Amino acid sequence: MRMSWMAGGALAALLAAGPALAQKTTLVIGMQTQDAGVLDPHLNSGTPGKALMNWMFNGLVRIKPGQASPDQIEPDIAESWTSSADGREWTFKLRQGVQCHHDLGEFTAEDAVFSLQRSGNKDSSAFSSDYSAFDKVEAVDKHTVKITLKTAIPSLLGQVMNYHGGNMICKKAVDTLGKDGFARKPAGTGPFMFAEYVPQQYVKLVANPKYFRGEPKLKEIIYRFIPSDAARDLALQAGEIDMMIGRQEQAWVDRTNKIPGLKVIAFGPAEMSVIHLNMTQPPLDNIKVRQAIAHAIDRAGIQQFRGTAISRQAVSVVPSGYFGTHETAPLLPHNLARARQLLTEAGFPNGVTIKAIHTTLPGMMGFIEAVQAQLKRAGITLDITPVEHPTFHQQIRQDLSQLVHFQAARFPIADVYLTQFFHSRSIVKTPTAVTNFSHCKVADAEIDAARTEQDKAKQVALWKTAQEKIINEVCAVPVNEMLMLWAFKDSLDLGYELKGSLNLGPPLTELTRFTK
Amino acid sequence: MGAFLVKRMLFAVVTLFAVLTLVFIVIRIVPGDPAQVILGDQADATAIAALQKRLGLDRPIWEQYVTFLTGAIRGDWGVSLVTGRPVIREILDVLPWTLELTAVSMVLGTGIGVPLGVWAAINRNRMPDYLTRIGSLIGLSFPPFVSAILLLIIFSLALRWFPVISGNRATPWAWFQSIMLPALNLGLIMAAYITRVTRSAMLEVMQEDYVRTARAKGVPWSVIVWRHALRNALIPIVTIVGLYLGILIGNSVLTEIVFNRPGLGKLIIGALNQRDYMMLQGMMVIYTLIVVVVNVLTDLTYALVDPRVKLS
Repeated sequence: MRMSWMAGGALAALLAAGPALAQKTTLVIGMQTQDAGVLDPHLNSGTPGKALMNWMFNGLVRIKPGQASPDQIEPDIAESWTSSADGREWTFKLRQGVQCHHDLGEFTAEDAVFSLQRSGNKDSSAFSSDYSAFDKVEAVDKHTVKITLKTAIPSLLGQVMNYHGGNMICKKAVDTLGKDGFARKPAGTGPFMFAEYVPQQYVKLVANPKYFRGEPKLKEIIYRFIPSDAARDLALQAGEIDMMIGRQEQAWVDRTNKIPGLKVIAFGPAEMSVIHLNMTQPPLDNIKVRQAIAHAIDRAGIQQFRGTAISRQAVSVVPSGYFGTHETAPLLPHNLARARQLLTEAGFPNGVTIKAIHTTLPGMMGFIEAVQAQLKRAGITLDITPVEHPTFHQQIRQDLSQLVHFQAARFPIADVYLTQFFHSRSIVKTPTAVTNFSHCKVADAEIDAARTEQDKAKQVALWKTAQEKIINEVCAVPVNEMLMLWAFKDSLDLGYELKGSLNLGPPLTELTRFTK
Repeated sequence: MGAFLVKRMLFAVVTLFAVLTLVFIVIRIVPGDPAQVILGDQADATAIAALQKRLGLDRPIWEQYVTFLTGAIRGDWGVSLVTGRPVIREILDVLPWTLELTAVSMVLGTGIGVPLGVWAAINRNRMPDYLTRIGSLIGLSFPPFVSAILLLIIFSLALRWFPVISGNRATPWAWFQSIMLPALNLGLIMAAYITRVTRSAMLEVMQEDYVRTARAKGVPWSVIVWRHALRNALIPIVTIVGLYLGILIGNSVLTEIVFNRPGLGKLIIGALNQRDYMMLQGMMVIYTLIVVVVNVLTDLTYALVDPRVKLS
């Protein structure tokens, strides 16, 4: 009798322990946002949306999970591809049997053509200008796609990877639901499928059992919108979320790393802080004043200020690690005496005052205040007008600021950064404006030549020359690079080593799982 | 009563029209381009111009105003510039969350504030009075976002009584757990106001002749306090509750963000950051309507608690 009572107790204990021993299969993520925005990969350009889209959609190719360099491109929906000698014709052979979400059938060349044409259409895509070089996209047969370009571009593969307009969507979903309906129930081919959206609370994804790389080990992802930094921190510590986007603060990293069971990972692509100098406005039209500013800024000091584990010193006017970055570019060194001497030579022995419109975003504000203090030591007064972030973006594009501090990451090929920030086509307040705040135009020839150059060595050489010219002209002063920071439970195994992610959030693949 | 209501409704229509016009103008004066925000910082000028055209932002302001006003009269508040969903739908999705939080906070604030104020008044210049006054001063001094973090650290992280992430209605218990901390955060601050107003109103009433007469006649103390004195002290309390309702909805912005609850607060912050004109316009209409309705209800309550007040 006593034995059977004990056996019963042991059995009850085992049954009770059962659920506790079961491996966790729901991943809850905290994202710094009020809401997800439009759930359409061709329209959603914000950081919160990029990560989410990455878990639902594939490209024809992809960068290996955990990497951010174009050197690491591998097949995704396309199993192979070829290109013509002049780089204008590309043919992609698709995998057979790739299934669209929600039982919408096989993903075929027709879907790929539809996706790319949609990405190139300004009415259905926020990234249409990326596809301006596309001439034709055709389905050769059910599993073959051919892209013809008007002119060769630096990275066609970058336009067809699972990033921005390269995300492949299923045509049938758009045909059935319409454009707005698709944005409420998106359908791709990725490891996780859309399941539910609750306004201001979360998006729920479920595992795609027909994923072509195998059924994901995680069964569910809850992507929670938690705009408050403090609330995200507390939710992670309380175990209510398993993973979150972090703050770009060294103190936050140190504090979170000390909490048992949690870890912080810093990864690229880094956002580079660059001081753009408007060369059309006095006194910045004088190269000696611009050189003085460059000499006055102490990159090592700024790195120390922002945190050595989460930031690094800029190496060129293109962020480090991009294809074509001049990693040993001749940036002007920190030299206060030289800065003062240059100001005197420029006719400003008593110093100069530069006016800058600046965002009130705390991270960027801290940076510019540190720069302001450094410039002051050389006799350069930085007069900052703080404005709200959307106002900042509008006013700097109206050419209202003498000095613009811009922090950005781009697709990691030198051409993108050089074209958007330093080509004359991109000068602000022009019909083709992007983000050339300095009015720089010294390297147009090299940037244009590199775009169509098919010899990789020559292409890189052209980009390096372009960077040297921009640095010599001091169109801008690159200062610092900030890494992306995410914290998560150490029981979460991503299935790869996280060194970088173009989509600014850790890729979640079929291999991602909890170890306990 | 009927004439009073008709008059107030007409007044509400004029107020709404004024607010709509003011909001329409103000949000367009504020710098910041919705098309730029939507497309992100890599968008070129051509793409931005195309989106502005698609959103109708390239049309003359007066034309946009006429479209907006005629739409609003027909009950069509347009679609969000960011999500493309109807504004009314977006607002109605989250409005119940804010109303629920406001209602529970008000019940807590009044339920705590009135008894404490009475307690302090009847114990004037004694320990309960001092404690209540110090407590209410602390309540008034705390910004809601600071008290919110403190509540989360104590009750969610240390004691694990409530979740950090609110907004769960799966079961009555889950609902209770998820609303208690945000409501307490708003309710305690409201209670601080109500305590002080109740105390001073009660102190004034307690000096009245009829209170002295009631005491001389031997009416029980509790009857004097709760039936005679409090009833006569209610007018300023009702006023402050009515006024505070507007403040509560305002304070709910930060509370919703820190406690991660859905609601108008989160919606308005998102709309402001993204310069979602249509959404901001719709939300201002809702806020105005709430304030107008609360004012009418406050006036009606005056007549209810004091028969001498005539609604005309």
